[in-house]
Amino acid sequence: MENLIQDLKIQIIDQLNLQDLTPQDIGDDQPLFVEGLGLDSIDALELIVLLQQHYDIKVANPEDGPKIFHSVKTMAEYITAHKKAA
Amino acid sequence: MHTFIHGTGVIAPYLPGKDNPLPAPDSQPRLRCIEPDYKQLIDTRLLRRMSRVVRMGTAAALTSMKDACVEMPEAIITATAYGCTEDTETFLTKMIVQNEQMLTPTAFIQSTHNTIAGQIALMLKCHAYNNTFTHRAFSFEHALLDAMLLLQEGEISNVILGAVDEMQDTRFKILERFGLYKRAVQQGPWGDPAQRDSPGTIAGEGATFFVLSTSPPAASNICIKDVRTFFKPGDMQPNILAFLAEHHLKPSDIGLLLWGKNGDARYDGVYDETARGLFDTNPVFSFKRLCGEYPVATAYATWLAAFILQGREMPAGLLPAGLQAPGHVLIYNHFYNIHHSLILLSAC
Repeated sequence: MENLIQDLKIQIIDQLNLQDLTPQDIGDDQPLFVEGLGLDSIDALELIVLLQQHYDIKVANPEDGPKIFHSVKTMAEYITAHKKAA
Repeated sequence: MHTFIHGTGVIAPYLPGKDNPLPAPDSQPRLRCIEPDYKQLIDTRLLRRMSRVVRMGTAAALTSMKDACVEMPEAIITATAYGCTEDTETFLTKMIVQNEQMLTPTAFIQSTHNTIAGQIALMLKCHAYNNTFTHRAFSFEHALLDAMLLLQEGEISNVILGAVDEMQDTRFKILERFGLYKRAVQQGPWGDPAQRDSPGTIAGEGATFFVLSTSPPAASNICIKDVRTFFKPGDMQPNILAFLAEHHLKPSDIGLLLWGKNGDARYDGVYDETARGLFDTNPVFSFKRLCGEYPVATAYATWLAAFILQGREMPAGLLPAGLQAPGHVLIYNHFYNIHHSLILLSAC
């Protein structure tokens, strides 16, 4: 899980072009949207594509989005759960 | 009614200054902008989505507003011939590489020609008039005309007007294959394009913004009096004489002619033919020596004209010898002998 979280942070920084951040700057439980990293709806689309590209996981139900993308940790948990299911 | 320049912001290959070297091509026949530290001007959260041309335009616009002490413009008008092609290239490349699957929205959203005007409006939360002109080498002239007409209607007091085009690597390669640029590049400053006698020119780029108003600013009295465009006009001399006569001017009244000679031997003769008999004794300067050739280069020329009219210091030996403080500056440009334009600036 720790490796996955670290990989995710690197991928998020790259995909969203967060030039001023390093993986260490992003807390595992830090909210990604609004008060946390300050991401917005366009970033949400980028993160959905990130899951598809890197982990071959499609977010089938849009209502699950806020839970999945709450933090890096919740993203990692979702990936782990769905990788196992696959 | 005059249109006064209240503030300017410019990102270009050259800005006058004691320590600023004259622009010189590197290994390719192109001049590149000297760019500021954008993080000092634009929120980094917004900056991360901006391609280079959007950064250039937005930074220049914000600088012009700061220069004019304007916090909220009453209209935003931009001009660009090429638009945001870097973003277009990004999403088209992804479409090919990813076989039209899993495409992200950012580059597509940012790829339209009006991205810069839209970005400025979004940053400022400005819901005022917002328009972008993409009329090839008439883009800036038509945007300027729109700004002047808008101000003359009298319903608003200021306008942000800007023109942006970048030279990105892919476009440069394509246009170079068309023979638009010089084959061999001399090292060192480009020099006066009027001295060149080979085909092709030097590519340029830039972002130039103005805050315009019909009321004179406290610090200066530089105004844009008129702008006119001519599509494949043939003989331009009657057009120039008529244009000047509308402002009760003769060619001899023009204190400085800024012409668009770009060193391309195939087209520079048009300037000589046009000027012969009209501007034989006027001081003349080729503004593309400082910015290179690009479709909205006349925006840089307009900025340069205002700079000179204000009496601000230019490096010794750059401008024509014997140039006195000019009362009127005429910009005459043509783009491949298709798009011809005149812009008249004066100390009002």
